Amino acid sequence: MQDCHKSQKIALCMVGLPARGKTYISRKLHRYLNWLGYNCKVFNIGNYRREICGTECDKSFFDSKNEQATKARNECAQMALNDLINYLNSDGEIAIFDGTNTTKERRNMVQCSLLQQCQNVQTLWIESICDDADVIQNNIRLTKLNNPDYVSMNPEDATKDFLGRIKMYEEVYQKIDLDENLSFIKLINIGEDIQIHKVKGYLLSKIISYLMNLHIYPRPIYLTRHGGSTFNQENRVGGDCDLSQQGIQYSEQLGKFLLDEFPTQEQRNQIHCLTSTMKRATHTAEIVCNILKINYLQLKTLDEINVGICDGLTYTQIAIQFPEDFAERKVNKLTYRYPRGESYLDLISRIEPIIYEIERSREPVLVIGHQAILRCLYAYFHRNEISEVPQLEIPIHAIIKLTPAAYYCEEIRIKIDPETGERKQIEEDLQIARINMLTKKKSYILL
Amino acid sequence: MQQYKKTQNKLILVLVGLPARGKTHISYKLNRYLNWIGYKSEIFSIKGAQQNNDQLDQNIDYELEIDPANQQFVDVRQQLSFTAAHQLVNFLQNDGDIALYNGLTSTKLDRQKLKSLFKEKLKLEYQVFWIESICDDPQVILNNINESKLSRFKEKTIEQFMNQINVLAQDYESLENIENLSYIKLINIGKLVKVHMLEGYLCSKIVSFLLNLHANNRQIYLVRSCQTEYHLLDKIGGDPELSATGKQHSQQLGDYFIEELKGNKNITFFTSQMKRGIQTAEIVGDKLGIKALKTKNLDEIDYGICDGLTVKEIAAKYPKQIKERKANPLEFKYPRGESFLDVIHRVEPIIYEIERSREPVLIIAHVAVLKCLYAYYHCNQINEIPNIDIPINCVIKLVPIPYHCLESRVIIK
Repeated sequence: MQDCHKSQKIALCMVGLPARGKTYISRKLHRYLNWLGYNCKVFNIGNYRREICGTECDKSFFDSKNEQATKARNECAQMALNDLINYLNSDGEIAIFDGTNTTKERRNMVQCSLLQQCQNVQTLWIESICDDADVIQNNIRLTKLNNPDYVSMNPEDATKDFLGRIKMYEEVYQKIDLDENLSFIKLINIGEDIQIHKVKGYLLSKIISYLMNLHIYPRPIYLTRHGGSTFNQENRVGGDCDLSQQGIQYSEQLGKFLLDEFPTQEQRNQIHCLTSTMKRATHTAEIVCNILKINYLQLKTLDEINVGICDGLTYTQIAIQFPEDFAERKVNKLTYRYPRGESYLDLISRIEPIIYEIERSREPVLVIGHQAILRCLYAYFHRNEISEVPQLEIPIHAIIKLTPAAYYCEEIRIKIDPETGERKQIEEDLQIARINMLTKKKSYILL
Repeated sequence: MQQYKKTQNKLILVLVGLPARGKTHISYKLNRYLNWIGYKSEIFSIKGAQQNNDQLDQNIDYELEIDPANQQFVDVRQQLSFTAAHQLVNFLQNDGDIALYNGLTSTKLDRQKLKSLFKEKLKLEYQVFWIESICDDPQVILNNINESKLSRFKEKTIEQFMNQINVLAQDYESLENIENLSYIKLINIGKLVKVHMLEGYLCSKIVSFLLNLHANNRQIYLVRSCQTEYHLLDKIGGDPELSATGKQHSQQLGDYFIEELKGNKNITFFTSQMKRGIQTAEIVGDKLGIKALKTKNLDEIDYGICDGLTVKEIAAKYPKQIKERKANPLEFKYPRGESFLDVIHRVEPIIYEIERSREPVLIIAHVAVLKCLYAYYHCNQINEIPNIDIPINCVIKLVPIPYHCLESRVIIK
């Protein structure tokens, strides 16, 4: 549905003390909205401050009574805001303003600037409130200590200084008030309490639903293709065929692998197993879940991409029978839609509810799916550019384990030999890995 | 995600709020939605308990007799509220999935008693989610009374009713975090919403659903795309273009809507991504000066291996499937295609969009998809879906009002 609702620009503004997960939320939203196909960018005030004022700022820099520093910080915020407004006035569709924005004065300034200087913009304020000391301590440990601000300090001093910094902000913190008349969502103690005020519109409603499902429990997500099928062997697309002999063997080895990953039955009972309604995936799931002694869920949403009139043909046959389509697909694999079938963009739209489901789940998730489907799912977790999706490598007879960490996903790929059960950790295809390296580098700077 | 229901615990949704806060309206809408997506859901209220009780005077509407000074009525209401709770427990112990409770829940003590009753009587895993509706806008409350209660007042006046509510308000206790309940508070029809301890797939969905509700009674128009060659050949499925007659009919459709919508360009206008949907919508849209949003969610049901065949050919080639479909038309899945249940699931985001829209909605789609959409507004049970009549060249106008949905049909010729 994303082609429908692109008329209005959207500015999402974060509010909250340091170490409340604002950047975490900004990055997740950024990934989600990019994946859906929107032009989205994060503007992090901290990054501007580091570039302009340097990284040698200790907590006194954040004291509101320090006039010179306050002036400098306001200038940084203004610069970030200006860049954001320029972005929305050109080809940007959604901009995320990642900063503390902890005073009514600052919020008022930002809100007025946005409404005056952007053509047709909707704003949503996202406030993250947390008073759980353990969570805050953990946040600091995971995300601040590697921050460029503290690279040269030892962890204890860094933590002490950062806690001091938080205190500076606390002195002037004003939570969002109803009289500010802003559209907002308050996430309190990681979603234990949620308050939503004056939210209207298709995309904002979607963003709200997405935010309500976020949490920080580090549960693993396993993605694997169904075992090899008879069509795979013949290089055919589509169809609803069953597993080949090797496919059955892989399923059994996969089950054994997961037995080792989850040593107790109690742990296995927690696994959320999702699969499609197609024979090859269901058969794989049946074998695996028999070994694990758990149930699985069949969702039509996870069915492989619908190849329409090309169903059952080999790639060679498609090239001969539908040469124009074959050529078009090579040029634009992302948007190309099989006649009477689907495109990758349709797929992304189709599997969106699964993303919600996986995000919401606080327990391990196992998805037994198909190549195109998994490419879309993987792209979401791995923050790939949408254009890369159709080329992502999801090898057969291998399982990908993703563990969401602070700002990225840890990944392990294990190839499982169907006959011997030998497990080998593999790397991604080098060319794609190179592209990812570039994006990963960016992600560290944007802390 | 209807498959999820098999692993879902039983769910109890309890409504909290003073009279004339829209509790019954919310419960009806939720109940309708949950049944539509495949759960077995039912409402248990004072009204319902009264209908089943022969010993009571059925001429008195105990749901409206809220006068706290009348001890006899207070006692009867307590008793009915209690009965409703027991009926609810019975329902869930058997094959019910979700129960909505609309009884006496205005004080902490009432709620505590209810929780204990559930704990004592329900011998299976269950979850309770509390839905509170708060309103301090007198105009909204007045509208509410006018729309849903006034017709049932016998000797009472609106003023009397409002006074009685004000007395009740003095003892009313809003939900508090200390009660340790999982809840959502809807304040002034969702202008402000507070959610506490939200857990579970279904409750998340229910919250998203509730966020979209509003009180505007706007019209929803359901129309089939116009005639194609496939119609003339009696073929099903496919992606044919409009025939010449089809294009003509689309023009007439456009003229009809020019009159009907009276120049309102703010309408929510959807169509499918099939050629006949797009073409009909283009012609109609041109006349109205608006563009339709094309979504694959509104595409016709996938007929799988039967796609493009005539009815006779299907009967000859796939007699076994015809038999299966006759036996269970709702769940029957065309081989390599979809079933009505799949279509319902696919069309669910459109329902959210329709609910969210406060302006008139115009949908140009196809038979099976429209049956599912229509059923959401009109049917109490989804197994009625296969039998719904959605004729071609006919505009079905639905206007949802509290507790009902008005319908009118106009044939365009």
